[in-house]
Amino acid sequence: MTGLLASTRAELLRLRKWPALWVMGGVGLALNILFGYVFDYLSYRGGSGSEITESLAPEQVLSGLLPAHVPVTTVQGMPMFGGVILLILGALTMGGGYGWGTWKTVFTQGPSRAAAYGGTLVALFTVVIVLVTAAFLLNFSTATLIALAESQPLAWPPATGIVRAFGSALLIYAMWTAAGALAGTLARSPALAVGLSMLWALAIENLLRGVANVLGPIEALANVLPGTAAGSLAGSLGATAFSEDGTPGVLTTLSGGPAALLLAAYTAAFAVAAGLLLIKRDTV
Amino acid sequence: MENTAIEVRDLVVHRGKKPVLHGFSCAIPAGSVTGLLGPSGSGKTTLMRAIVGVQLVKSGTVTVLGKPAGDKQLRHEMGYLTQAPSVYGDLTVRENARYFAALYGLSHKEADAAIKDVGLEEAKNQLVGDLSGGQHSRASLACAIVSNPKILVLDEPTVGQDPVLRDELWKRFRGFAEAGTTLLVSSHVMDEANRCDRLLLIREGKLIADDTPAAVKASAGTDDLDQAFLNLIRAGETPGETS
Repeated sequence: MTGLLASTRAELLRLRKWPALWVMGGVGLALNILFGYVFDYLSYRGGSGSEITESLAPEQVLSGLLPAHVPVTTVQGMPMFGGVILLILGALTMGGGYGWGTWKTVFTQGPSRAAAYGGTLVALFTVVIVLVTAAFLLNFSTATLIALAESQPLAWPPATGIVRAFGSALLIYAMWTAAGALAGTLARSPALAVGLSMLWALAIENLLRGVANVLGPIEALANVLPGTAAGSLAGSLGATAFSEDGTPGVLTTLSGGPAALLLAAYTAAFAVAAGLLLIKRDTV
Repeated sequence: MENTAIEVRDLVVHRGKKPVLHGFSCAIPAGSVTGLLGPSGSGKTTLMRAIVGVQLVKSGTVTVLGKPAGDKQLRHEMGYLTQAPSVYGDLTVRENARYFAALYGLSHKEADAAIKDVGLEEAKNQLVGDLSGGQHSRASLACAIVSNPKILVLDEPTVGQDPVLRDELWKRFRGFAEAGTTLLVSSHVMDEANRCDRLLLIREGKLIADDTPAAVKASAGTDDLDQAFLNLIRAGETPGETS
């Protein structure tokens, strides 16, 4: 337990001081605001629908920008774009230890491998909580400003809706972070891990879903992929699916319950697999 | 032996299919600076890995502070500087030292002291990736000594350092030994050997000398350690072997 606490403290220090984390967090929040609010608000103010919102009436566009819609707006960008950022974070954090050669020193002199890995995972999940909280706070602030600017009533979403969306966001990000950690451990190199992770999340999953339309056995597989579970969880909260001119990554393949369970199972499986690899494999 | 910090007995190590150490035995006294010298590829790093406890051994024993090498209880007693620096290049020197200090449950105070010990105070806020090769190596050394270990295994710590810094580092090593730390320092630079209390001369995985620098030179009949090393090699070669 002492080793786990020491490792968590060390990894939190490392992540906090790591410029790449601030860059990734900043990019994630900027994308969230740009695609969640800025472009839609500009198109609403311009009076003519953008390509994204052209099928919606201006009132519908505005209602999606108000505080009542924050839970859905926040989660809808997480299955794909936000998720990829967390995937990169996990891959760089674990792969970086191999790339810089620091794992060998940690494993020789520091706490046990299990404690070192556990501390890294706790630190990463702490970052996930901070990022999700920051996204919600930023979106609530932006939506409130838009409501005030457009003289709209400040109607808040129900607390259950916020909690459900917050939990879903945590689950989606935790799954992608654990997947990145596994990729970093498997590849033992940050660059290779990031490349392979992005290839999986942005290309292979989408290709498999495309092939699934014509091949039955592939469809069964595509329906339980990590990205499918993440997209379905967002879809179950009310985010518009990509197939219905909604956000890329949002799906309606699974209902909320199974999607959440599948995400939890993937998170645990990826985390355990990475831990076992790290503990059992030779590193120095 | 009461005063022995590290004891290696009949150690045989193969890396892949290649035998690297052939029944190697030695004893390293506590609180001493022992130089591990030999040409590249002679087995120095393999021996150090075995002592640190990260090397699979085929046979033989390695005992450190009375416990088998790699024992969990030795983790906080060992400091290991690998040949390639092992610090985060995208963090500063101070952040790296503080990271390792936190890992061992220590405070910022110990981290700052380690940076001072390796003479990197002026560069403490620089990113490690921006440091020169010698500074980079010293940043790694700071992280290895931050826990104030009882055993310090340093694999070529002076490579890339200028003569002034090399001299300073050896003075630090002497200071650590005087404070009770046992140091095993590898090098292939013979002029560093005179700074050690004892020397282990190794060639092709075999120990060819284990004595004080003065005794090694005397037994080889020369005042020059380079020449002594050559004489000992030649003396150990059987007739018919090529030199």
